[in-house]
Amino acid sequence: MQERRRRRTIRDLIREYLEDIEALSEEIMEPSIAERPSWNAQSCCLEPLCSVFVTPNEVIVTADLPNTNPDTIEIRPTNADTIEIIAEMKRKIRFDELGITHRKGEFQYFHCQTNIPVLVNMERVRTEFKRGILEIHIPRKKGYKIEAK
Amino acid sequence: MVETVNIIERKDIPSNAIMLNGLPDVGLVGLIATSHIISEAKLAEIAYMDSDLLPPIVVLHEGLPHAPIRIFGNTDLIASFSETAIPADAVQPFIRKLVAWAQAKKVKLMVAMGGMPVQNRQDIIEPRVFGAASSKSLLNMLREKDIEVLKGGYMVGPYALIMRYCAEKDVPAIALLAESFYKYPDPVAAAATLKEFSKISGRKINLSRLTEKGEEIRLKARDMMKRTERELGRMKKTQEYDLPLYV
Repeated sequence: MQERRRRRTIRDLIREYLEDIEALSEEIMEPSIAERPSWNAQSCCLEPLCSVFVTPNEVIVTADLPNTNPDTIEIRPTNADTIEIIAEMKRKIRFDELGITHRKGEFQYFHCQTNIPVLVNMERVRTEFKRGILEIHIPRKKGYKIEAK
Repeated sequence: MVETVNIIERKDIPSNAIMLNGLPDVGLVGLIATSHIISEAKLAEIAYMDSDLLPPIVVLHEGLPHAPIRIFGNTDLIASFSETAIPADAVQPFIRKLVAWAQAKKVKLMVAMGGMPVQNRQDIIEPRVFGAASSKSLLNMLREKDIEVLKGGYMVGPYALIMRYCAEKDVPAIALLAESFYKYPDPVAAAATLKEFSKISGRKINLSRLTEKGEEIRLKARDMMKRTERELGRMKKTQEYDLPLYV
């Protein structure tokens, strides 16, 4: 039996178009993510895992910082939309402790830079450190409001 | 039809065993839990999975090459374990093969241990573990063991397919899902699932080593977590947050 083809609506076309863009951007972005190691032996730094959540009132940046001394955590705004996190580990970690014996080097710091996707007020940052997870709360800047009538 | 995924057996495979599945998913919960069992029970490699759907990877252990997805076991316990993120496109053929193999080996219970991402994970000291099962009798067994059953919602990823294919093929299966981080390796959630698995299987599992090594595991698992997160995105894993439409 011949299957009748459903006529695609404008909504379907837009959805397909957006899916194509998403797939293409993934393809473009992938090499830069995959090819960068999560460590830098020269600066003795490991890159921590980081996440950014945007809520209506604030941006919450979290970073997984195991083996970290909380007193050493530094959070630096590097410009209006980027923050840098640096933290010292309780003890140095060698490559062989991470399962790699053919490289030499040891790591003492966590270091990462994260982009903030909306306007924020970097002057009023609040932080928490719970069970090795750093949580940075950055209030959002209130711009002009468009009233819905 | 040409098989896209093969399981190559290296030793005799036991019948009527319990099979654990440590596949990369949120918080790497199942992977960490299964890795702990493999090392604690000193399970030996009994088979490995091979497919052109995987990137060209070998894992070196003591200088010798190994397939990244392997199956370990002893006389009554089998564990599948992956040392690479499974590409989203390969998950269905892999799980289909794994379940068919488990059925052929008369596995008496497939156990999928995993995470269930919650937004306030930092505030939770003891993650709760929820259960799902392939049949009503197994759901009752979970309830008898005081495991809260997931009644509705979506499951996405390798464990979702294990449950689906096992239900289709009448292979008894349960999923034990602990509240976990999505993007951060979660050894505490892994310990919580193992505690429930211990209740179900009657096996004693020493969790103190896992808890002590928590920070070390989180350090080592960063790269695996990053790659897994990317594949989970491709599987549309965030659909697990969606509200189901039951009219």
